[in-house]
Amino acid sequence: MNRTEPLADLAGRVKAFIRCTADGVALCEDEFTALALRLFQAQFEQVEPYRRFCLQRGVGPEATTRWQSVPAVPAEGFKEFELTALAPEERVRVFHSSATSTHRPSRHFHGPGSLELYEVSLGAWFERHLLPDAAGETGMRFLALTPDSTAAPHSSLVHMFEAVIPKSAAGPDRRCFAARVNPDGGWRLEAKQALGFLRNAVDAGDPVCLLGPAFSHVHLLEALEAGGEALRLPMGSRLMETGGYKGRSREVSRRELHAWITRRLGIAPEWIVGEYGMSELGSQAYNHVAGQALRDGPPVFRFPPWGRARVISPDTGDEVAPGATGLVQVFDLANVWSVMAVETGDLARRFDDGFELLGRAPATGPRGCSLMPSDLVGKGEGP
Amino acid sequence: MMLPDYFLADVPGGPVLTPQLVTDACITLKQNRTRHLVDRTTAELIELLARVAGDWLEPDNPFRRRALEEGPGVMGFSRETLNAGLDDFFGSVTEESLRALVTQDVGHPHRLERPLATEQDTHEGRRALAVGPELLVHVTGGVLPNPPMTSLMLGLLARSAQFMKCARGTSLVPRLFAHSLREVAPKLAATIEIAEWRGGDEPLEAALLAQANCVTATGRDTTLASLRQRLPVPARWVSYGHRVSVGYVTHEMLSSRMLPEIVQAAARDVAAWDQLGCLSPQAFYVESGGRFPPEHFAEALAGAMEKTERVQPAGPPAPETAAAIAARRRIYELRAANLSHTRLWQSPGSTAWTVVHEEDPDFKPSCGHRFVPVKPVANLTEALKGLDPVRGQVSTVGLGAPGPRETELVTGFARWGVTRICPLGRMQIPPLSWRHDGRPSLGDLLLWCDWESSARW
Repeated sequence: MNRTEPLADLAGRVKAFIRCTADGVALCEDEFTALALRLFQAQFEQVEPYRRFCLQRGVGPEATTRWQSVPAVPAEGFKEFELTALAPEERVRVFHSSATSTHRPSRHFHGPGSLELYEVSLGAWFERHLLPDAAGETGMRFLALTPDSTAAPHSSLVHMFEAVIPKSAAGPDRRCFAARVNPDGGWRLEAKQALGFLRNAVDAGDPVCLLGPAFSHVHLLEALEAGGEALRLPMGSRLMETGGYKGRSREVSRRELHAWITRRLGIAPEWIVGEYGMSELGSQAYNHVAGQALRDGPPVFRFPPWGRARVISPDTGDEVAPGATGLVQVFDLANVWSVMAVETGDLARRFDDGFELLGRAPATGPRGCSLMPSDLVGKGEGP
Repeated sequence: MMLPDYFLADVPGGPVLTPQLVTDACITLKQNRTRHLVDRTTAELIELLARVAGDWLEPDNPFRRRALEEGPGVMGFSRETLNAGLDDFFGSVTEESLRALVTQDVGHPHRLERPLATEQDTHEGRRALAVGPELLVHVTGGVLPNPPMTSLMLGLLARSAQFMKCARGTSLVPRLFAHSLREVAPKLAATIEIAEWRGGDEPLEAALLAQANCVTATGRDTTLASLRQRLPVPARWVSYGHRVSVGYVTHEMLSSRMLPEIVQAAARDVAAWDQLGCLSPQAFYVESGGRFPPEHFAEALAGAMEKTERVQPAGPPAPETAAAIAARRRIYELRAANLSHTRLWQSPGSTAWTVVHEEDPDFKPSCGHRFVPVKPVANLTEALKGLDPVRGQVSTVGLGAPGPRETELVTGFARWGVTRICPLGRMQIPPLSWRHDGRPSLGDLLLWCDWESSARW
């Protein structure tokens, strides 16, 4: 592997890899390694801040033979550096991390090729976890508790929702984006619109797929509670929740949220799926397949075969043993024009087949840097 | 050493605390105060406290030994860090320092015993007596043991019954200290209670606050606000919110002669209590224009941190702490690779210590655990501008400056709002008479009774 393949060619190979592994069964370790190393070589050459990062670590593509050895950039780095192989004129879209006016957001640049690959990647794994019964083609209604992409063009989550809702779900009673953007950049749920959509689905007897960040679900449930209303969504209805609360609603434990969803929307816990994703990644992890029996123990997130997660020791950078905790690194083949290997800054416990998310490593990144010390007090209070 | 279950927090697993139990304990404490504490002389109390502190300095003192055996496990510090912290603290408690504290805060030691006139009072024809609160409640927040031990000493000097409510898992050393008092003065120890519970238990806290005449509280600003709201109106409130501290080094100190000493002192401040106290430096502002650039200071500091690690290792970090450190290091690594003046030094194969050099004077809270940035600045003005986000919250500045420049710098910091300036190397060792956050810590507990003499008619 001496010659660097054009990124567009690599993207084609990644797409083929996704197609042949999307059922989650065929794991082609050799092909994954080959693609990962080729991406590393190309990105090392074309993403300048990343190349410097690798050089400082003394790691280059020539001597790297395992995908696990590819240096992972911190996701935070997308805020400060242009981690992209795209020239400015090639960038048609940029996704930001959920930013507020006081934070500098992440910037993940996309061109037509990378957007297409993003959609292939996110679609395949979403379908496998949210629509394993191909319910999207048979009358399912889709309610996203987010703005649409006209209002939130820089949200990778919104882009994802637009991409995963089947074209066949057309018209305002089959698909709905029920939130608007506040002047501060935050999202506000259009509760009336969302509730109207859900009531119509109940009347029609059509199942609903609800999509949104956890805080939006909380807002929806609060609206139902305020009206003393409990819906019984038709059989086959399901819900995807993602992300934390980021101070946008009161914090609810996962267990409490799920019980609340069951109580107010009539969606049983087996039909609630957690997603883990970020604007810096082209692939996402899920912790459950809609409709399957829940397994014992904590929810375990799994990336697709084209995105491998490792939980690494903060001390040594080596992968921790199963059951131990560390930082999440994701090696995501769907990141072709940016950087494949990303360290997310999230703390997780390793399982044999994935990881349990324990939260964000405290005091890192935007939260740490922007909070006043009074909010950051750990055990070190008092003189 | 077996300790009797004397304080509420002594009971393994914790007793079942009820509001009634708290109320009863407070009433007993007040009775014991009347019987055993109110009429003690200041000299007697000073002698006692100095003796107990002196005992703690002995390596085979059983209370100290127990603190060193159990402390690392429950507090997260290495034995060596705890050892050094206890030495520094008890070394500062002597008869002289206690007398200096009392004299500073009340004018004369006898004024805590009987009405007495100072020179100024004589002029005005009055005498005055300082009286401590009947029941002093301490609500402590952090894991560092010296603030609660200081509080107990101040409470004794004020002749107050004391109920100390510690945050979960933090009472060990204060409890051992109280036991060591009990060994030499059991009746005095009967005026002290120590309990642990998770903050925010409103029924317990309501019972406690209802009995309090004065409350001292340290902790998060939100915790303090919530407590204060629940305090009955007549009780007094003395709170210490979260503070940050920094180091400041002038360019004159960056010479081959001064540098080794100054970085050693700086490393000592970072290592003390694993940089988790309000008095720990969260950044060093270093002036450019010296013989060596500030980057040189950072590199030398990294060397000093590594040396310190060998004799006083950092405590083993909790997983989330280690992850926070690793994540922060990674972003600095990326910056260092791409920005010419950002550099990173770190303990190899561990998260024990981290030094970064960055040309960004803006203050950002450190994650503690011996992770410290060095920030070059042109002068004091630039440093103060960078510190603006925490103005009003800066406690201590550890200063490395030549004599002729000290006054100018101290005045500048003081007018800006800093309440304590000390030489580098002593940031976590304030003298007992330290004015905590700029206020007299004993004086703030006391109320004065002024006696205007009737002799004139």
